[in-house]
Amino acid sequence: MVASVTIVGSDGTDVTQHRLEVAQLSKTFGSARVLRRVQLSVAPGELHGLVGQNGCGKSTLVKILTGVYTPDPGGSIAVDGRRLRMPVQPAEQREVGVSVVHQHLGLVDDRTVWENVRLGRYQARGPFRRIDRRAEQEAVAEVLARLGRRIDTNELAGTLSAEDRATIAIARAMQDHRPGGGLIIFDESTRALGRQARGRFFELVRSLIANGASVLLISHRLEEIVEATDRVTVLRDGEVVEAGLDTRDVDEAALTRLMLGRHLVTHGRVDSHARDDLAASVRSLSVGQVTGLDLDIRHGEIVGLTGLMGSGFEEVAEAVGGARRADAGELTVGGHRILLSGRRASTEEFVRARVGYVPERRLDEGLAAEMSVAENLTLPRVRSRGHRFRTGRAWQAEETAAMIAKLDIKPPDPSAPAGTLSGGNQQKVVLAKWLAGQPELLMLREPAQAVDVGARHDIIDAIRAAARAGCGVLIASIDAADLAVLCDRVLVFRGGMVTEELAGDLGQDDIIHATFGIGPALREAAPEDQVSQQKRGVG
Amino acid sequence: MNAAQDHVDAAPPPGGPAGGSADGTAGSAPAARSGPGLRHFASRYAVLGVWALLIVVYTIAKPGVFMTRSSFESIFNGQYALVFMTMALLCTIIVGEFVDLSVPSVFGFAATILPVLVVNHHWGVWPAAVVAVLGALACGVVNGLLVVVARVNTIVVTLGIGTLLTGIALWMSNLNTIVLPPSGFAKIAILPVGGLYISFFYGAAVALAFAYVLGFTPLGRHMRFVGASREVSRLSGVRVNRIRFGSFVAASAFSGVGAVVTVAAIGSYNATTSDSYLLPVFASVFLGTAVIQPGRFNPIGTWIGIYFLTTGITGLEQLGLQTWVSNVFYGGVLVVAVTIATLLRRRTT
Repeated sequence: MVASVTIVGSDGTDVTQHRLEVAQLSKTFGSARVLRRVQLSVAPGELHGLVGQNGCGKSTLVKILTGVYTPDPGGSIAVDGRRLRMPVQPAEQREVGVSVVHQHLGLVDDRTVWENVRLGRYQARGPFRRIDRRAEQEAVAEVLARLGRRIDTNELAGTLSAEDRATIAIARAMQDHRPGGGLIIFDESTRALGRQARGRFFELVRSLIANGASVLLISHRLEEIVEATDRVTVLRDGEVVEAGLDTRDVDEAALTRLMLGRHLVTHGRVDSHARDDLAASVRSLSVGQVTGLDLDIRHGEIVGLTGLMGSGFEEVAEAVGGARRADAGELTVGGHRILLSGRRASTEEFVRARVGYVPERRLDEGLAAEMSVAENLTLPRVRSRGHRFRTGRAWQAEETAAMIAKLDIKPPDPSAPAGTLSGGNQQKVVLAKWLAGQPELLMLREPAQAVDVGARHDIIDAIRAAARAGCGVLIASIDAADLAVLCDRVLVFRGGMVTEELAGDLGQDDIIHATFGIGPALREAAPEDQVSQQKRGVG
Repeated sequence: MNAAQDHVDAAPPPGGPAGGSADGTAGSAPAARSGPGLRHFASRYAVLGVWALLIVVYTIAKPGVFMTRSSFESIFNGQYALVFMTMALLCTIIVGEFVDLSVPSVFGFAATILPVLVVNHHWGVWPAAVVAVLGALACGVVNGLLVVVARVNTIVVTLGIGTLLTGIALWMSNLNTIVLPPSGFAKIAILPVGGLYISFFYGAAVALAFAYVLGFTPLGRHMRFVGASREVSRLSGVRVNRIRFGSFVAASAFSGVGAVVTVAAIGSYNATTSDSYLLPVFASVFLGTAVIQPGRFNPIGTWIGIYFLTTGITGLEQLGLQTWVSNVFYGGVLVVAVTIATLLRRRTT
């Protein structure tokens, strides 16, 4: 099963001509060894995947490759047979053609395309050391031409579509590569892209590879890895457990098992816990382009809200969760009537009515990174459960311990600053913060986004358990897989209206097709199918 | 931060050699804590250690001069004004308002109102004290309205209001030192208790009470969260703006009360001295982030910081150095101490 990989001796002497050859790379922080003798080889013209759970050492590896961290002595990194000095120097990295596209693409929204692409490379000319705008723009146009894309170099990056933004990030990464060479590392870069944009993104990546460049793709989306990459390397707890596995021989379940080191019971649908009585109802909600929406959520029911970006479902979620002021509307939860158009300084009213809101951006809206897990987890209830002059320790310790156990939060340390946890564990803390208050209504936005499979498993279990206990759950997500597994019914938004309501035995494809507005007759040609066929074809 | 993110979960190796068999859980155990524990202790108490070292050095350098009762009294009896002002600055810094430059001016404004009313307008000292505190509170309300309600930049508002208040105080006092007639009023500040002025204990009590509020009450928890992230707090039901506004008012209350105690202690006030408090106030508050709770603004750390700085300067002055030394010392210690605390904290988290 393991693809042929040349294991390089500890002296780092190169045997074969790999584009990237990492050998015996280790990294220790204090007493924790986060990478152990990692080996990784990427061939010229290869799309190589790198997967692993949160905290397995993927980002540490990228940071060593880009010179942020110095590895422990003994390891080596070679590009096209040239062994790099440690720590990796930016100049040498650029010279050998290794570049990274980060998670959020690293674009400055209020700057133009050419300024973004040329950032860090501006050439000053003339006696006044001015930036030669025309020359810079030409350089950018040339790179974009190599990518086969036309984008106005004077546009502001923030006004572009998701796929154009990805194109710019790629253009920036590959502008110094000599034709037919270079390695681009995509560090969770596809996260910021919608489904359609992701398809085009992979077309672009394929064309890069066809020209001889190599790509290392780091992604949480295993289906993406299986479909798009040629080989995959799996990291677990800082060690390579599979090096260069051919993706034709592997499926998502097998990758998941490798990442976890145990057999994960894959989530199937379970019977609905919905009861007959209402947990919450929304009346005449108008927010953004949505007008006059009525919505009933029964106790124990899990209702999905989905649609394309900008279809209005996100605004509905924000209004129901109290994060955004609606133009009109009312929410009734457990005898509390909340005016959704009310001007309010905080979500206090929602908290009192036991409405929990898990926001999309966990580090901006969900958690205070510098505060501890326990403090974050108990924040909504310090006033109601504590005494005015004393927060009280017992209930906090009890609540925190229960939630750490329930969601398997790691490390199981209530005093750890929330910012030091891995992404998946942070997401668990945000969810636990509301679950601990036994909510009547949970409004979740992308509850399992960018978390590893283990965390997703725990999160799905916890949401189901909350529903079983009678909580009404609303999930706003673009992730059809999450919705299909969790929801009793799904409302699909388009242009501010609910265009379809799916119920019963939901399939991921049904949700996707409803989202894209594709009728049953056209399903064979659905965008994601086209994309996957193309990827398969080239791979 | 990412380093931390990575190594938090990556404690134990997988059960067996690479191969991906089902080998039990992929869970992690807490890493050994002995090394970080020692460092954690060092980062909390390093300043106390340096303080002790300073005392030893000064005692050896100036035998019979530094280690005396009078040195001790001058260090611990004279800092009441600083204690109140640092607590005022902490109020707003903790809720994330960087930085209230008007603290010394509000203090000076209140400290001028009191003797001006008594001496120039023949008020009783107590009503004048009440008006002084109310005057300070009014300044806090104005700061709060401008920063929280009108959303003007904190530095701009407090720099402007501070300068304005200093100007008004200079005008009220006509640039003179206004001396209160002798009365029992001084007793509220300089009553001896256990060898020190009672004002020392006011300061200690205020710092302790503030630390209690921050550490043990829902209000304090909310203040910390507002400082850490306004949006997270708002979405968790915390009334963010009320807390921010309240912090400006509380800050002015600390300054006002501190001004009354100070005027009682020294029996006079000169409005031109207000500005000289700015650097010591900031130095103490920032130095406080290197004590007890490394990297966090905290009242006890600040309170210790004040006496640490005063010890340093008192000793240097006794060694014959001129007054310029206070600038060098305040500035230098501030940067060094906070740098060390930051580095230690980064390595422990």
